[in-house]
Amino acid sequence: MGDTTPFDEMYNADGSVREPYSALAQWLDEQPDRGLSLMSSDAEAIFRRLGITFAVYGSDEGNEKLIPFDVIPRIISAMEWRRLSRGIEQRVRALNAFLYDIYHRQEIIKAGRIPEKLILQNSAFCPEMMGLEPARGVYAHIIGVDIVRTGPDDFYVLEDNLRTPSGVSYMLEDREAMMQLAPDLFQRCKVAPVENYPENLRRTLESVAPHNTSGSPTIAVLTPGIYNSAYFEHSFLADQMGAQLCEGPDLFVDGGRVYMRTTTGPERVDVIYRRIDDDYIDPLTFRPDSMLGVPGLFDAYRAGNVTLVNAPGTGIADDKAVYTYVPEIVEFYLGEKALLNNVPTHNCVDSDERAWVFDNLQDLVVKEVHGSGGYGMLIGPTSSKALREEFKKRIEARPDNYIVQPTLALSTCPTFVRSGIAPRHVDLRPYVLIGDEVRITPGGLTRVALKKGSLVVNSSQGGGTKDTWVLEE
Amino acid sequence: MRIAIRHELAITPPEGATNAVMHLLLTPQSGPTQTVESWSVSTTGIGNAARFSDAFGNTVHLVNQARPDGEWKVSVTGVVNTIDRHGVLGRSHHGEPVPTIYKRATVLTKSPVTMWSKFRGSSESRLDVLHGLMARVGEVLGDGEGGQEQSQSEGRQSQSQGGESETANMVDLTHAFVGAARALDIPARYVTGYVAASEDNEASFHAWAEAYDDHLGWIGFDCLLQMCPAERHVRLAVGLDAVSTQPIRAVPEGDGLKQIAVSVEMAQ
Repeated sequence: MGDTTPFDEMYNADGSVREPYSALAQWLDEQPDRGLSLMSSDAEAIFRRLGITFAVYGSDEGNEKLIPFDVIPRIISAMEWRRLSRGIEQRVRALNAFLYDIYHRQEIIKAGRIPEKLILQNSAFCPEMMGLEPARGVYAHIIGVDIVRTGPDDFYVLEDNLRTPSGVSYMLEDREAMMQLAPDLFQRCKVAPVENYPENLRRTLESVAPHNTSGSPTIAVLTPGIYNSAYFEHSFLADQMGAQLCEGPDLFVDGGRVYMRTTTGPERVDVIYRRIDDDYIDPLTFRPDSMLGVPGLFDAYRAGNVTLVNAPGTGIADDKAVYTYVPEIVEFYLGEKALLNNVPTHNCVDSDERAWVFDNLQDLVVKEVHGSGGYGMLIGPTSSKALREEFKKRIEARPDNYIVQPTLALSTCPTFVRSGIAPRHVDLRPYVLIGDEVRITPGGLTRVALKKGSLVVNSSQGGGTKDTWVLEE
Repeated sequence: MRIAIRHELAITPPEGATNAVMHLLLTPQSGPTQTVESWSVSTTGIGNAARFSDAFGNTVHLVNQARPDGEWKVSVTGVVNTIDRHGVLGRSHHGEPVPTIYKRATVLTKSPVTMWSKFRGSSESRLDVLHGLMARVGEVLGDGEGGQEQSQSEGRQSQSQGGESETANMVDLTHAFVGAARALDIPARYVTGYVAASEDNEASFHAWAEAYDDHLGWIGFDCLLQMCPAERHVRLAVGLDAVSTQPIRAVPEGDGLKQIAVSVEMAQ
């Protein structure tokens, strides 16, 4: 997988245009000389107006940055999407079944299909969740599955994000910007809408309200506050759903129920879409030093008086070490073969395997088991010898803290960069909502590595985004 | 044995605190070794409390006060009938989690290898290993002779036990046993409760351990008293360690938990 020419999503090897991109190719040909360049500056103006920014931790360049947007959309055919979305749905159903089992009878452990230690000693396992019956049996209601493509029919899941996946606001804003920038292109291509995501999110949240909710459920979005890198998204989603945006101190528990302070007095809250990590949601049950959470919130949840979305403890299903067992998990709970591939993953605990990893480090990707955002990673092919040696030491010291994968030849999409239109590597994060039904927004967020040859698409490390089109038949 | 219990505890939220909450683990359950005849928990706000089961099968009260004023006292009274089953509780009951989760190591239950290494790969029955472990923990840490082993009663733990040396020692012994059992791949849990007075001990709010045997189910081991709990022990709550079984957890916690009085007497 390492050395092959990456799959280009727009052009075949002979230079002809792949079918889903034919209308786009023609449209690009018709653009005047500086057309795309002007469009790019228009896009920047649009995003500045929308106020869509993100914060980079540890960056000196000021707190707020505009995420780069590429004006050339990424296109997925209806057939490709059908296949992908079936695979995604299968995966999220299996992962929710896994969570139910892990927090109840743990049949998958008893059956010897997943090592007991991997679950019980995992910091992402939340013993406080044992025996709880979440509304509709759903633990992870909002999932962002990271997918990469390596060939016409080859899709791999890199990561299942079941905690608090972010980025959906970029998906929505990218579409809005694109419709303003190139309305004529939308007339030539029948693009599946994404605008109904906030409405679907609201429906999903309402569908998991506690049984004792009277009338229409009250929904709150709980944010850590303005210093969080995704604060914009929290306020954006609350606004789009017509829900209240709250910080910990805005909520309190009384009589085992959760209330929000309002100018007209306390209002009961039924469903909380929380964008605060498990450890911080309630100082009474989790980290006692947390100032972000609501004291007693978890007890109110256990008492069945409020629904937390996603449930605490969902991280056990997207743990990088558990990830390797997802095909097993799909088979165990659904009795089906997984439709989407996992990336072949090596652990470093076994000394033979570790020796092989060390010999081949220049071709491999090393990830921290609990890392995210592209931090703490080694990308073999672009790494220095010194860094590889450094990683060997780190792996030697804590072999269970790392997983190792081959460097995938991520597909490329034409991207407008300084030198003109050039192929750049992309990934895809489709967003899935699970409540009364599974709702998958067609497409998702495409992240693009803007640097030539780079495989790191994370926005914190110089990645941009693209509008993602799923064509309708 | 018919045992009457009175227990008074309190916390004092800091002055000016608002929206104080308390999580009470002060309600015993009937089971193979005891039947709860009567029980009441009284405190400001109890009428409005949420009552529910936690992950370990305990009954919890979540109590709150919008504007606490000074000391927040909790009084518990009740009568429990106990049966001597030599510490054997049997299999898990409805509402309890699978025993395997009690293999999870926590910060407080890290037990030094020296405590349990001699039992590793032992050909003895699990029951014999557990009895041996109780004796070993008593030898190493008991009677205040635990100078060589590092005290584990740190952090929030001190809140619930007041820091008296006997109590701290009991907590350490129990954690050491629980941690050692888990290191030997045996599910073990921390138990709080009451013990009636005898020739060897005063009546007290107490802690001991329970370990799981595939044949007998849960069995109690009281490392401080070096015995399997019998009819003088009343079980209150179980959990992974002393933190997850604290009788009162509060936010804001103020100066921590104060044990005011406890009486555990044989009733007529």
